[in-house]
Amino acid sequence: MKQRFQILNDPRFHLVYGISQRFSDGPSPSKVRLNREGFTLAQNVKKKAVVHSGMLLAEHPSIEKGDLFSPIYGEITEINERSIFISALPQPPDTPEVEPVDLLQEGLEGDELVMRCKKMGLNTRSLGCRCETLIINGLNPDPGVTWTEPMLNSHIRTFHAAMELHRRMGRFKNVILAIPQGSHLSYDGVKTVHVPAEYPNSLNPLLIKNVTGEENPEGFGCIGLHNLWSLGRVGRTGLPLTETVITIGSYEHSGNYIVKDGSTVGELLDFARIALKDHDTVVRGGPLRGESVDRLDRSITKGTYGLFVVEAGTIPPMEGHSSCINCGACVLICPARLSPSNLSRYAEFALHERCRKEHIDICMDCGLCGYVCIARRPVLQYIRLAKQKLAEKDAQKQREEIKITSA
Amino acid sequence: MSNTSPTSVLLSVSASPFWHCGRTVRAHRYHTLLALLPAVLLAIWHWGLPAARVMALAIVTGVAVEALCQRLMGRELSIDDFSGVVACLLFAFLLPAASPWWLVMLGATLCITLGKMAFGGLGANPLNTSLVGWALLYVSWPVLMDPNAMQLTTQYIDPLVRLKYFGAESVASISLTDLLLGKQIGALGASQTLALLLGGIYLATRGIIRWEISAGFIMGVVVMAAIFHTVNPVQYASPFFHMLTGSTILGAFFLATEPASSPDRQIPMMFYGLLGGAMVIIIRIFGEYTDGVPFAILLVNLLSPLLDSIRPKPFGGK
Repeated sequence: MKQRFQILNDPRFHLVYGISQRFSDGPSPSKVRLNREGFTLAQNVKKKAVVHSGMLLAEHPSIEKGDLFSPIYGEITEINERSIFISALPQPPDTPEVEPVDLLQEGLEGDELVMRCKKMGLNTRSLGCRCETLIINGLNPDPGVTWTEPMLNSHIRTFHAAMELHRRMGRFKNVILAIPQGSHLSYDGVKTVHVPAEYPNSLNPLLIKNVTGEENPEGFGCIGLHNLWSLGRVGRTGLPLTETVITIGSYEHSGNYIVKDGSTVGELLDFARIALKDHDTVVRGGPLRGESVDRLDRSITKGTYGLFVVEAGTIPPMEGHSSCINCGACVLICPARLSPSNLSRYAEFALHERCRKEHIDICMDCGLCGYVCIARRPVLQYIRLAKQKLAEKDAQKQREEIKITSA
Repeated sequence: MSNTSPTSVLLSVSASPFWHCGRTVRAHRYHTLLALLPAVLLAIWHWGLPAARVMALAIVTGVAVEALCQRLMGRELSIDDFSGVVACLLFAFLLPAASPWWLVMLGATLCITLGKMAFGGLGANPLNTSLVGWALLYVSWPVLMDPNAMQLTTQYIDPLVRLKYFGAESVASISLTDLLLGKQIGALGASQTLALLLGGIYLATRGIIRWEISAGFIMGVVVMAAIFHTVNPVQYASPFFHMLTGSTILGAFFLATEPASSPDRQIPMMFYGLLGGAMVIIIRIFGEYTDGVPFAILLVNLLSPLLDSIRPKPFGGK
């Protein structure tokens, strides 16, 4: 019905793009910028130190967060509280090489394997929680992102390595691979379920609903294919993870690349031969849920799955001061059956507690409310703001409670 | 051009989502005006220049008043979104073509001030903007607002007046084709039934108005009229007669569907439409007013916050 009456009639929202081309390697960056917040620097990692590809730069105290490795051979030009900057140097022939580790041969299992993966730079938190049944999200996360099909069709060995390692981690009993309707994929030992490949079905709660027919059933968890691919990559190469797969796309161009962690946005767009004009918007992440960057020397991180250019003039500009005109489009489109119109207005006037009463915690962050808003309000941004404020408030409350009980 | 220098281009920073359906308030109003265009042309065809005069006067007055209000309220001017034009054109559609100039100007002023700006502007009004002005004038100058009393130099008849005072048999001979083509006395735009029907269907398929409201409204009219007609066909006119007379079609597609004063979700929208439609017939049969559509819509406008409280449980059912 929504399609028929034009509220959501964007062919781009069909998450199947018929792409099977293998990922190309991205550029070798001339400089990288790595996020080091929360990390403890390794020994000898300081300004002007020369680092080589795959060298440990910093460790994270949590088992859930992967350690940090240098993606290139180069010199550390700066270390500040947030980032490590490395400039590439020509690699001399006697560069020490990182010895590959065959995780599959090693035969580690359970938490030992998880720890090993963390030591190889994998964010183990995103490898899925412990659950009865794990659903692998085989849909592209955002419209415009196209790497899912090649991951399932063309990089099969990486996929199998990932599945084997993940099985050994022992976090689930059963596994289901959710793939687009009409797709003929099948893998030995993996149950596949077909789901309608329309955005926002790629969001975990909706994916689980499409697979099980229930909303938020007990015992189900999800894992993104992107994270699984990273695991498989480490399994296949035996090297620490310093890459990520992203879709680089503009209005005319789209391609999937394996790029180095910390590559700058400008270099990547150059490599993909996308020329920018003034007032274009560069989006890190997906076109519906990502964030826009202000400078071309911003970098992408391991979790980044897309880099998009939205050309100036292709969409009506967002208007921050625009008031809600009660058209109700967001209410009709919301997959969580909330009232984004009300939520955004409460947030606009700092009535965050009312957002809680309107079940803001159920919001899946899909961004469709902003996509359909004819007044061009930043609806999703208002909702994110309210969520943030409520989380801060809760944290404050918790701290006070701890103080009282300890006193 | 190279992108490697961080300052080579000036990037726009915005908030997600970065794709958009491309619809804007202004584009919606353009489509609405386009949908109203056939009715405007037919109104001029049937009623001549006086109709054009009323529509133009209402629009010019309304837009000027809106600009003035926004200036006085210290708001940014937003008359270029054409919402004032649409509201005043719809108001003009409810007037007789022979209305005096002061009545038109007063009405348009009331529409914009009391119907819209008093509540804070576009989208904040609890009642339909056009109908607020119309209702105030109608209770103040019932004769001047009555098309049957104003349009003296025409060979058409007012089917609703005929029905009210001479019974259903007297209107049985009126052909539905004539009603569709607007060969009836009525408000200048509201009586162009076929043109409005086409425009309304266009808007509904484009998703600019909510089809649930229009379908509900027409169903309400037809079902209620059918019940009475089946019980006593001599006294009560057929459902199709009711559908094609007065401002039923204008109400169903253009007045009841005003987003600000109607519910947001599907089931409430259908209820809202059905109640409005049923109310039209009740007013026409038991009330004092021959048309009944404007008052029926104003009444259900008042119910819409209540209907909006019929809502599904959010995802996961808490």
